[in-house]
Amino acid sequence: MKTQTIAGSAQPRLARGVRLQTDPATGNSVLLFPEGVLELNETAQDILTRCDGRTVTEIVQALAEEYDVDSKMLTADVCDTLADLQRRKLIELT
Amino acid sequence: MIAPRPYALLAEITYRCPLHCPYCSNPTQTRNDGELTTDEWTRVIREASALGVLQIGFSGGEPLGRRDLPDLVRAAREASLYTNLITSGIGLDDDRVHALRDAGLDSVQLSFQSDNSDLADEIAGARAHQRKLDAAAKIRAAGIPLSLNFVIHRRNIDRLPQMIELAESLQAERVELANVQFYGWAFLNRATLLPTREQVVRAREIATAAKARLAGKIDILYVLPDYYETRPKPCLNGWGQRYLTVNPTGDVLPCPTASSAIPDLRFENVRTRALDWIWRESESFNRFRGTEWMPEPCQSCPQREIDFGGCRCQAALLTGNAANTDPVCELSPNRASVDAVLHELHSLGHRAPDWIYRSNPKVLAVEGPVIAARR
Repeated sequence: MKTQTIAGSAQPRLARGVRLQTDPATGNSVLLFPEGVLELNETAQDILTRCDGRTVTEIVQALAEEYDVDSKMLTADVCDTLADLQRRKLIELT
Repeated sequence: MIAPRPYALLAEITYRCPLHCPYCSNPTQTRNDGELTTDEWTRVIREASALGVLQIGFSGGEPLGRRDLPDLVRAAREASLYTNLITSGIGLDDDRVHALRDAGLDSVQLSFQSDNSDLADEIAGARAHQRKLDAAAKIRAAGIPLSLNFVIHRRNIDRLPQMIELAESLQAERVELANVQFYGWAFLNRATLLPTREQVVRAREIATAAKARLAGKIDILYVLPDYYETRPKPCLNGWGQRYLTVNPTGDVLPCPTASSAIPDLRFENVRTRALDWIWRESESFNRFRGTEWMPEPCQSCPQREIDFGGCRCQAALLTGNAANTDPVCELSPNRASVDAVLHELHSLGHRAPDWIYRSNPKVLAVEGPVIAARR
């Protein structure tokens, strides 16, 4: 898969009309948007719950500390996930 | 059979509508038992949420015809549902937009009949186009995400580029270009609405090009004209798998068109049964659930869990038996019934019959006519 280039200073936010909430049936996070539901995997859930104005770099740092992993490896994962969500118009990068 | 959990509820809160579009998929005849009350809908919404539903679409008819719509939206938000209003926009004045936004409405899908005002009003059978443009502006100003929906048929399909331009100029986030599907009034008007093969080929090229050009800006959903396809649509992602519809009088339907298309199926009502029981246990939801009901060629088909045998309503309308393979499928022994319709269209040339406009249910329940109800 092609690695996406997303600036570390970019601030990801949920796009307009997109809601992040807990699915009462499973306890997992889902994204709700017009005519759609996306059940999130753990990585996406971890990232999206931190899209609160923080930059990509800050999100990676927070996750690296929490899970005690190398932030370089994590950056690629986070950027891939964000690029995928951006393609689906579920997040915006500012 | 173990029932999966449903994801979305289509709440058809009224069949009344100020428009008369000949492509409407509503039933041509409806019972007049009286619409569900606000309290009844609120209970249905809570029961749906408990069943696993995450999304609700308020539809109809024209859902703005119900004065209690903001209360229903609020009830849905309190039940953590994502709320979508599917509307003609007629009756959406400033007060109502604000009331709906304050109730927590998440998004609006606004229908248009064309980009051209005269043609649009002719199709709608009402002076509606300008009011829709006004409604779009109000929705935008209120900051509510906007999707546009165009039902595509022979009379407007050649204006696809202009319709896409309208969506761009209204700054819609999403556009559905939905080739007409033949149920309800549309089935009655099929000979007039069905586009020609040449029109369909051109429309597909235009939609594909627009999709690429507007990627990342506007989501374009192109709904295929299935009579011209060789394999059926994966209707509802399978019967009783993800979706349920509650109609204005409380009947619970696996599909909104099932009540009129499949007369031999008996549907349960929320006034007498719990939604959970209807979803899991009822005959109507279990009849075509899974793959066991399938006849050949579906039963041994590698596509059977991809297209689920197509549409039960279409099978019923075109072959007289809802348990048949969707006759759109090239493997169906009944494909000739679809080809005959296409052949007849092309031999008719431009001499299409006039269409019959959709009319409203004869007895209006709960409230007066939709327009008169506005202050």
